[in-house]
Amino acid sequence: MNELKHVLKLTLIEKKDVSIAIFFGFLAGIASVALMGSSGYLISKAALTSQMTTLVVMAACLKLFGFASALSRYGERLYSHRATFTMLSHLRVSFFERLTPLAPGIFGKYRSGDLLSRIVGDVESLQNFLLRVFYPPVVLSIVFLSTIFFSSFFSIGIALVMLIGMLLTVVIVPALFSIRKRKTDGQVRAMRGSLAVEATEFLYGFRDLKIHQQLGKKEQLLKKDADQYNEGQRKEGLEENLAQSINSLVALLVSFFVLGVGAYFVAAGELEGLYLAMLVMISIAAFENVAPMAAFPAYFEESRKAAVRLEEIVAVPGAAQGIEKLPDRPLEINLKEASFSYPGETALAVDGVSLQLKPGTKTAVVGPSGSGKSTLMQLLLNVFPVDQGQLSIGGKPVETLDQEAIWQEMNIVLQENHFFFGTIRSNLSIANPAASDEEMERTLAQVQLELFPLEMKVEEKGQNLSGGQKQRLAIARALLKGKSLWFLDEPVSSVDSVTGRAIYEELFRQGHNDTFVVISHDLVGLEKMDQIAVMENGRIVEIGSYNELMKKHSYFYQLKQIENSVFA
Amino acid sequence: MNDLKQLAFQRKNKMAFLVVASVLKGVATIGQALFFVAIADRVFLQNAAFESLLPLFVGLLSAILLRAGAGYAIGRAGVNLAADVKSEFRSTLIKSFASNPLQSAAQGQSGQKVSLLMDAVDEVDGFFSKYIPQMIQTYIIPLLLLAVIFTQNWTTGVIILITAPFIPVFMAMVGKGTKKKADEKMEQLSQFSGTFLDVLQGLTTLKLFGQAEKQRNTIRKSSLSFRDSTMDVLKSAFLSSLMLEYISMLSIGIIALEIGLRLVVFDSISFFTAFFILILVPDFFNLLKDFGSAFHTARGSVSAANQLSAELEKTHPSLVWGSEKLAPEPPHLSLEGLSFQYGDDGFTLAPMDGEIPPYSQVAIIGKSGSGKTTLMQLLAGLLPQSEGRLMINGVQREKMSEQSWFDQLSYISQNPYLFAGTIRENMEIGANRQVSDAEILDAAEKAGIAEMVLALEQGFETPIGEAGRGLSGGEKQRIALARAFLKKPSLILFDEPTTGLDLRTEQILQDSLSELQKTSTVITVAHRLHTIRKADLIFFLDGGKLEAVGSHDELLQTYSLYKEMLSAQQGGSVR
Repeated sequence: MNELKHVLKLTLIEKKDVSIAIFFGFLAGIASVALMGSSGYLISKAALTSQMTTLVVMAACLKLFGFASALSRYGERLYSHRATFTMLSHLRVSFFERLTPLAPGIFGKYRSGDLLSRIVGDVESLQNFLLRVFYPPVVLSIVFLSTIFFSSFFSIGIALVMLIGMLLTVVIVPALFSIRKRKTDGQVRAMRGSLAVEATEFLYGFRDLKIHQQLGKKEQLLKKDADQYNEGQRKEGLEENLAQSINSLVALLVSFFVLGVGAYFVAAGELEGLYLAMLVMISIAAFENVAPMAAFPAYFEESRKAAVRLEEIVAVPGAAQGIEKLPDRPLEINLKEASFSYPGETALAVDGVSLQLKPGTKTAVVGPSGSGKSTLMQLLLNVFPVDQGQLSIGGKPVETLDQEAIWQEMNIVLQENHFFFGTIRSNLSIANPAASDEEMERTLAQVQLELFPLEMKVEEKGQNLSGGQKQRLAIARALLKGKSLWFLDEPVSSVDSVTGRAIYEELFRQGHNDTFVVISHDLVGLEKMDQIAVMENGRIVEIGSYNELMKKHSYFYQLKQIENSVFA
Repeated sequence: MNDLKQLAFQRKNKMAFLVVASVLKGVATIGQALFFVAIADRVFLQNAAFESLLPLFVGLLSAILLRAGAGYAIGRAGVNLAADVKSEFRSTLIKSFASNPLQSAAQGQSGQKVSLLMDAVDEVDGFFSKYIPQMIQTYIIPLLLLAVIFTQNWTTGVIILITAPFIPVFMAMVGKGTKKKADEKMEQLSQFSGTFLDVLQGLTTLKLFGQAEKQRNTIRKSSLSFRDSTMDVLKSAFLSSLMLEYISMLSIGIIALEIGLRLVVFDSISFFTAFFILILVPDFFNLLKDFGSAFHTARGSVSAANQLSAELEKTHPSLVWGSEKLAPEPPHLSLEGLSFQYGDDGFTLAPMDGEIPPYSQVAIIGKSGSGKTTLMQLLAGLLPQSEGRLMINGVQREKMSEQSWFDQLSYISQNPYLFAGTIRENMEIGANRQVSDAEILDAAEKAGIAEMVLALEQGFETPIGEAGRGLSGGEKQRIALARAFLKKPSLILFDEPTTGLDLRTEQILQDSLSELQKTSTVITVAHRLHTIRKADLIFFLDGGKLEAVGSHDELLQTYSLYKEMLSAQQGGSVR
């Protein structure tokens, strides 16, 4: 339960809704108990007398309690769902607050892109926490205790039977199944994972499998995994059914014993026969409500796991951060002997790289894909702290500087730039909230997007924009920010070459005194750069100006030769 | 929904079991009420001694055990039914995937297919595990209860017959109304729910622009508007279940009044009968209400089932093979009007004619989308041609034995697939036989990966693929090369990389291919000038048509487009 403490705390922020929901839940439960109890009592009474009043009271009770129960059930549902959605809102905000300081470094830790959808899914699944984990035992306990309290006036023995029944159905049986569930839960998840891997291999590797005549074998393996997962699911379903059946068996047995004990006391003359039917009906009605407890183990486990996974993500301490601001002068950036590897990988992504960026110089980083260009950029931006070596900005070690203040001074265009659901304007104003419409339009013209109206809709992740348009919009965003340190990771790789060229010229014109670092996928148009760093296997194998490198006839020259002979 | 029901009713044994268990549960429900009432009646009105009740208690206990047991059995049957149907869906899907030759061409859709196999099948579960058992119970138990009620007090039965139909009628009415409203709302809702993901995805961007703080309010606001619109939808759903409660409550009220009148005023029924009916009637209405909520679960399954049947109904061409053996030496290939079309109106490769003599080097060139890869798939025997023939040493491809054909073939794609397993296993897959350590090392050396592999802690036993070490594009290509060296094929299909690899891999690819060329025919989708120059035969494709065939010199003289393309390449490089 410890793991869910945080979620519980967030749930209880909405005290009002939760208490109203619990109140109505109690009312609904107790009204249905009263309904059954009163009809049991009145029908017994009616058997003894022939007064019309009994009949009138009976009809009235039936209506009153019936409507009260149905209406309260409605109110309960309304408020418990409201509280749940409010809780989800708190949960999202609180998680976002804790994740923000860790970004963007944390996204390097999980290279699989599904981290984010996992987060969203886990948060989503916690909506069951209030509705199906926290809430049913609380309401049930209150209803039961009231019922038991009421029954104790008639027979302590019957009250005791109900108490035992309550402990069994609300506490012991769900707890037992929760423990069993925890033991087996990981297995089905693992089977599912292995089936997904096997299916992915089968489909993506189809051609290679076919040619190597392994398709049949792989198909058998895939079938086996599917069967295993299926059997796992079957077992899980049977387990849930067992929990449900045992819970309802216990509930039925309780009314059996209530009747037994009651009949014994009546026969012994210790309980008036008039109340027997009432007490039995009360126990039937009270225990009819325990059905949700059968689903408790599954939802409890699910919520617990979701909470644990979310906690794991944000529990890591962030990188060391200083508070010093950047000095107010042109900045030199210096990377010395830097090495870095992605968590869980032994190979170094960047291996002992030194790079000096003097104020006002233009540097290009080139090399084959996978050579570590982008990782190098992430190190220069201090998105990932170096494992070994040192990064200093303006002569100060980066650890002593305020991280946000560093980025504040940079215009950054990454390989993947995010665009938010909204308009062109709302996406541009992220860079400079104070920018006027004229400024924005001028900037759009600089990247040849003058045809885009500022009101134009931008869909989620900029789906309605082409790759080239997105890149140009990202450059516009950077231009609008207007700082003097530029970091561009393949900024025009999807833009046609003429436009790309023009945009580069525009950039270098506006920022002719600025410092530029450009990662480039091709080797064209590098003549103007002050230095070109050629990377392979995480190392800088050559560095120099275009002419120097071409004269040396070494690595860069050969790459250039290959590029010239490739038909894309 | 009817398709899914049919799937359930095909399993006659399970359905018969469900029917029997439902009947037993109904009988147990009646028995339980009967013994309850009998005991209460004896104790309360007849002052019976406790001992004399014991047989009745035994009866009650057996009824309870039977009821719980039957309930368990029904649930179990539902779970098993769902598991069986899902298992069948999965194996049919797998079979359909395996037999579809287009899969080797359309790997882009693999993600959707995985999700079909995993998620869509799982979503079908609710229909079989919850809805079907509930449906059977609703068909049987209320009828049993009604029959018993009729025998006890026919007027009550008549009241039920009049009031009960209101429940399904009302449910259908509400269902139609809310579904439309919910669908409309859903679109609105999906916008809200996306915001959180949108902000998370953009967190890096927000941080770099120093704007993360402000997004807290965006998240809160959108979450709360999500809540409010969802509540609107839910409110109508809750209201409709409130109405259902009212209907059943009213019916029970009328029945109680009727029984009360007879009991108190007319004295025409006994306490026993009255109590008995009063216990049975709520059970009757509860079953109808439960069916309503199960119906809700079923709806989600139906759309998943539609996706599944849409996939399974797709027809695809099939590959036919024969039994002719292919000699282990480079074959003579003839294309006789070979053509291919994807679907009814998809991309078409126009009929092609050509000869590929043994040991020749063929370069296939053309713009992207001109059909190069499709031609390669046809030549590899991975796709069945729509028209024409592919002759292998004068024998139709369809008459060849599949095994002896693929035994002679290697296909090195731009992005070879590495399977979860060790490097060694990934190499051995090429040979399809037991391979000695020396052979592995030899092939790795020829493919230029020996050095890299031996530097790894576990050497050739290093796990790669899905969960293992990530390899660069160049390293993957070299592993594919090593596969070819182990296999020693007589026909090699090679898809030359479009982007520059590292220098070393470029060099190795060239050297290795010239080595492999000594013993085989090599057909290349060529992107490198030197590859094209060296080729004996160039197939020039444009828009799905084979525009020209010949050597470099021949094409330069006879085919102006070729010349244009070459000069455009030289000029285009100056970007």
